[in-house]
Amino acid sequence: MLATVLTAQPVPPADKLSAPAIDYGAIMPVLIVLGAACVGVLVEAFLPKHQRWPVQVVLSLATLAGAGIAMAVYLGDESTPKNGVITLAGTLAVDRPALFLWGTLLVLTLGALLLIADRSVEPGGAFVAEAAIRPGTIQDRAQVAGTGMQTEVFPLTLFALGGMMVFTSANDLLTMFIALEVLSLPLYLMCGLARRRRLLSQEAAVKYFLLGAFASAFFLYGLALLYGYAGSVKLADISNAAAGTDRSDALLFGGLGLLVVGLLFKASVGPFHTWTPDVYQGAPTPITAFMAACTKVAAFGGMLRVLQVGFESTSWEWRGVLWGVAIVSMVIGAVLGLTQTDVKRMIAYSSIAHAGFLLIGSIALTDQGLSGTLFYLLTYGFTTLAAFGVISLVRNADGEATHLSQWAGLAKRSPVTAAVFTFILLALAGIPLTSGFVGKFVIFSAALQDGMAPLVVIALIASAVAAFFYLRVIVLMYFSEPAADGPSVTVPGAFTTASITLGVIATLVLGVLPAFALDWAGSGTFAFQ
Amino acid sequence: MSAVLAAAAAEVSTGEAIAFWVLGPVALAGALGMIFARNAVHSALWLVLTMLSLGVMYMVQQAPFLGFVQIIVYTGAVMMLFLFVLMLVGRDSSDSVVEVLRGQRLWATVLGIGIAGLIVGAVSRSLTDVPVENLQQQNAGGANVNNLGKSIFTEYLFPFELTSALLITAAMGAMVLGYLNRHEKGMKRTQKELVEARFRGEYERPSPLPGPGVFATANSVATPALLPDGSVAPESLSRLIDSTASETFSDEIKSVAGTEPGPDAHALTPSTKDTSTTDTKNTEDTEETR
Repeated sequence: MLATVLTAQPVPPADKLSAPAIDYGAIMPVLIVLGAACVGVLVEAFLPKHQRWPVQVVLSLATLAGAGIAMAVYLGDESTPKNGVITLAGTLAVDRPALFLWGTLLVLTLGALLLIADRSVEPGGAFVAEAAIRPGTIQDRAQVAGTGMQTEVFPLTLFALGGMMVFTSANDLLTMFIALEVLSLPLYLMCGLARRRRLLSQEAAVKYFLLGAFASAFFLYGLALLYGYAGSVKLADISNAAAGTDRSDALLFGGLGLLVVGLLFKASVGPFHTWTPDVYQGAPTPITAFMAACTKVAAFGGMLRVLQVGFESTSWEWRGVLWGVAIVSMVIGAVLGLTQTDVKRMIAYSSIAHAGFLLIGSIALTDQGLSGTLFYLLTYGFTTLAAFGVISLVRNADGEATHLSQWAGLAKRSPVTAAVFTFILLALAGIPLTSGFVGKFVIFSAALQDGMAPLVVIALIASAVAAFFYLRVIVLMYFSEPAADGPSVTVPGAFTTASITLGVIATLVLGVLPAFALDWAGSGTFAFQ
Repeated sequence: MSAVLAAAAAEVSTGEAIAFWVLGPVALAGALGMIFARNAVHSALWLVLTMLSLGVMYMVQQAPFLGFVQIIVYTGAVMMLFLFVLMLVGRDSSDSVVEVLRGQRLWATVLGIGIAGLIVGAVSRSLTDVPVENLQQQNAGGANVNNLGKSIFTEYLFPFELTSALLITAAMGAMVLGYLNRHEKGMKRTQKELVEARFRGEYERPSPLPGPGVFATANSVATPALLPDGSVAPESLSRLIDSTASETFSDEIKSVAGTEPGPDAHALTPSTKDTSTTDTKNTEDTEETR
């Protein structure tokens, strides 16, 4: 009996199973980033504590440089196909938008990494020395005075970056889901590692983790329904199934709705924004900068691909809903931003308003909409990075002084910092000669061309309201008397200076000479296969 | 729709039909039992019943791998974690039944029924016009597991490899949040240092806390130790393990420890305890004067 069962089992011949073809040149940046993250883990395991920080900083910066060079080599190669390649059995699509987003992510992570690595603004860095010590204990009070830091943040940042890069180029929903988890898990963790105000930081981490897990469940449920609808998780197959047949719309739109909820949560678009202010406020400021800049790029990159590749053929059905979501997000961001008294929370609400603008670009399903959204992501990332860099400089004895009243009269204490922050706020408001203006201009013109004039009018009103609270901070900094016991502005070390300079110069250059970046953003569309 | 169901019924073999009509009611009974069981542990065990029946149903429907994963991962691992947590929290502890938000239950019921109606409506509608696919391709050659493995290493190679990044992050996260170098100076004391410190008087008592003792009726950790006069030894009650016991005995603990609330500073009458001591003192005094 057993013998017959065994012989009945067909043994597949060895040559039957062939590994999928891999275009190593195309995916080299991802491989470098993820590989270096693993090396970073080994560094943590084998090097003594005092050597880890320099080694990790050098390794991480070299990784970003290496990934950038690998991407430049791939782009410069004559044989690189113009409309992108689909590799690894159709799970990764390395096309022009994906490469643009990879470049954006690499440069923004460079800026965030410089903030993370800085040890001059806060002696020992913004991260706790031993996260396992409970806040408020004797050991905790002892470690505040020390200068160590949990250097695991460097490999964690690289893992998050790797997840983001895969997320923007995932060609099927399963890869996208795993990439979503790969990018989220390190962020949840790093949110809880602040050196100061540790309970607030840990509360932010738990909130982000629980709500993020909830949103992932939504994404996964949507994925399952779409698989039931199309019989495949590939975006192109879902698109074909939706275009060619008269199957049940309940599965398609139920799936799409749940999937998009998961994506909108990550992009902190209102009404799925509730985690944003608390997490931005509680997380260590370098991590907030990384999250605000890079997660937004990754989330909107993924959303653009899902909407443009997977659901373009059914856009009549879902576009109205996303109109509503964009309006809600802009209104929440602009109106609640007015009432904030904390700088970090104010920037968080500003990011919700910006997410609404970005959503307008994402639902304009044209080439202009795609390139405009990509450009806006680039400009917004640099500006936010610099904003959080400046916020980390204004400090008093308890750490960062983020309450707005403490920023009164900052221009009299430190004219340079106030001038830089003013420029950043003007860019966030979208004043001409800054990148924010060009970004809004390209998105709104793409939306107008695609017949969304009412939405553009609402967006203009929202940006006018939002400009009010940016200007309020500027007025506060220049026309108020500084408080006697107000905060002092730390003179930043080389790392933070480099990061803020990178953000400010990019904001200026993209505002004055945006043509090269616009050309690159518009150099191709998503691969469909 | 009835035509589709009839067509589907024609394809179902007798064995499968019997298995369905046996397992279906069992799964439903488990689900209902989970909701209506008053005891949290019973609730969890009812859920195990549902999950086991679902696992067998998967196997009946040509998906043996899924069936085993259902049993091993959900029934085995996840439910055991569930029970662990229940036991840690204490199986007697229950949630407060006071509504924090007014009308919360009414709204939860209405919205719950609403969403259930929506889901049932959507699913029943989609049953009619979704092409039904059987698992012939996945089970080709009678090897469900082989074919799954094959698709992991060909079609889904990249997501499969990417999960390693997830596992490394999770492991490192656990280390970062949980690992404490206890051998450093100022960290946890060794046993010897602890004993010396105890006898030097740095702690409240040199000996361990009392266990249930000879007067106890059970030897569970949750059972309080009884003192010779029959009262409860307050140190023997653990707040961590069973919150209810220490709350039940809180009055006795206070009276034994002598930490009953004293009189208000502005009160006109002295407390009973104080009067008794002064009374005895007075009597002693009078005895001495006599």
